[in-house]
Amino acid sequence: MATLTAPQDTSGLPTFRVLARRSFAAFLRREGFGLFALIGLLIFILGPMMSVIFWAFADRWRYPSLVPQVWAWQNEAEPWRFWTETFSRADILRGLPLSIGLATIVTGLSMLICLPAAYAFARFRFPGRQLFLLSFLTTNAFPRLGLYVTISVVFYQLRLMGTVPGVVLIQLVNTLLLMIWIPTAAFQGVDRALEEAGLDVGASPRRVFFQITLPLVLPALSAAVLLTFVGTFYEAQGAFIIGIPNVRTLPVIMYTLIENQVVAQYGAIVSLVLWVPSLFMLMFANRLLRGGYLTAGFGV
Amino acid sequence: MSTLTLINLRKQFGDVVAVNDINFEVADGEFLCILGPSGCGKSTALRMIGGFEMPTGGDVRIDGVSVVDQPPNKRPTAMVFQKYTLWPHMKVSENIGFGLQLRGLPRAEIAQKVQESLTLVGLPTYGNRYPAQLSGGEQQRIALARALVLRPKILLLDEPFSNLDALLRVRLREELRRIQRQVRITAIFVTHDQEEALSLADRIVVMNKGRIEQIDKPSAIYSSPRSLFVADFIGTMNLLPGKATNGAITLGEVRLPAPENQPNGPVTVAIRPEELALATGGGNGRNGNIGLWDGVVSQLMDLGHYRKALIDVQGVGLVKVYVAKTAQLGEGDSVALYPLRYMVYTEGAAPAEVRQQPIEGVMVYQ
Repeated sequence: MATLTAPQDTSGLPTFRVLARRSFAAFLRREGFGLFALIGLLIFILGPMMSVIFWAFADRWRYPSLVPQVWAWQNEAEPWRFWTETFSRADILRGLPLSIGLATIVTGLSMLICLPAAYAFARFRFPGRQLFLLSFLTTNAFPRLGLYVTISVVFYQLRLMGTVPGVVLIQLVNTLLLMIWIPTAAFQGVDRALEEAGLDVGASPRRVFFQITLPLVLPALSAAVLLTFVGTFYEAQGAFIIGIPNVRTLPVIMYTLIENQVVAQYGAIVSLVLWVPSLFMLMFANRLLRGGYLTAGFGV
Repeated sequence: MSTLTLINLRKQFGDVVAVNDINFEVADGEFLCILGPSGCGKSTALRMIGGFEMPTGGDVRIDGVSVVDQPPNKRPTAMVFQKYTLWPHMKVSENIGFGLQLRGLPRAEIAQKVQESLTLVGLPTYGNRYPAQLSGGEQQRIALARALVLRPKILLLDEPFSNLDALLRVRLREELRRIQRQVRITAIFVTHDQEEALSLADRIVVMNKGRIEQIDKPSAIYSSPRSLFVADFIGTMNLLPGKATNGAITLGEVRLPAPENQPNGPVTVAIRPEELALATGGGNGRNGNIGLWDGVVSQLMDLGHYRKALIDVQGVGLVKVYVAKTAQLGEGDSVALYPLRYMVYTEGAAPAEVRQQPIEGVMVYQ
């Protein structure tokens, strides 16, 4: 920190401009690499994002222009025509509530199955516990597409292909890892002495769980539920293979639009719309991340 | 009347016997300490009393009624744990009032009882704070308040002060004793700190490897330890191996009178440092005299109001002696030692005590 007392003789000392330049040079030397990496990262991440945003708001964009020639609102005859077209499509209008509904059902079922299991993992030492806990990694150990294709054979026989229950089941499997590991670690983090103290003052085991254990794991649980909801909402591979042609979630529609349509605006608009819930969720998750709950969740 | 009786209480974990058929009785209003090294089974015994472990065998009776079948939330006991006892998401007043709430008491009454509890432990203004805002000592005091507010029959404490610094420990010890006397509650206190046990307890149960070594008043445990383990564990002790032959005990090159009816064979002599008298200027062949040992001061430690001297006695080893602060003693001095009182431990027989009259010219540490 520089002090404000002026030296008596300033003739031999560097001027402020020289000092500023020097410290900037020193700053660059110290932080130069980090700065370079940050700028590179921004270009790689923001670049494609900007492309999607431009396409979503473009009316006409032809090479070699860097920005759209005609923006959506600049079209005199039909302003925002791509937007109105997109939102009048039946499959998109059906897709949004379907996606939200599916994600809610899957998250709800996942909580119902996984939370009691997580409590059991945390509190009871049963034979095979460690192996069982690690086994949930297997869903992530293989390329998902291969698993889905083989599962679809079974689903065909069970008449689950193209049905909502079928999609629910396949998306449920994807949620198991997160919804068991994070809550297990969270429950383990609650010292047994806290629960015993609850019993000691006369609370029943049920009351101890709901009034003592649950409030203490709520942050970590909320993080797990959040990640599960967002992950399920965006899940497209399983929903695609099991769900089509009857059940088409919004991400699936987005992929088909991007792949099949010559006009890029449709896919870009749906992409943009799909960002919105994710943005809200991640802002909320950021608050939880600061509490260290997510990282604590992986210390099994 | 809140008496506690343990009858042949046993706890086994597979092949490991943690608590091996222990028996004792605690009277109403008594402060009993269970003292022992880590792993001796004292915490397991306490947890069985509180209902957090199921005994493998035996019975726990409160006021003559067996409570073994009752889960901890139904037993008339309250426990203060070693750490993490307060619920962090509730205020202090809610922590204390939780048990009262469960019993359906009206809100005004709960608030009044909570305030009484807080005053009892000396923290009357802390009701609205959260546990995270409290220091370790304050947290344990609130934990005590929470246990006492329910008027349990037996108060159980599992090394509650072991996580606190030394000065705080001493202060809280005195607080606890005062509160226990005031409320007149039967208390069982588990600790590995023998100083804590000696200063707090009405009686001490010394445990080792799942068994009870001795149950006695603190003064009796200190002056007449019933076994070598207790002799070694409590206070500082000189343990000197020797051999008994025909009424005298030989320790290396020195000799001591043996107790009455002492069988011949190997023995261990236990002498408290303060029960060894010291005479300066030894080395004139007094070792021939039974009871006087020639030695050289090996080390002198200043411990505040007294000094601890390590005397190297030929053939015996280093002997610890307490000397007065004012004693004219320096390292390397020749001294003579004279034991005034000692215990003799023989394998398979009861320990025996020997007293000797002090002789002239020998300094006694008081």
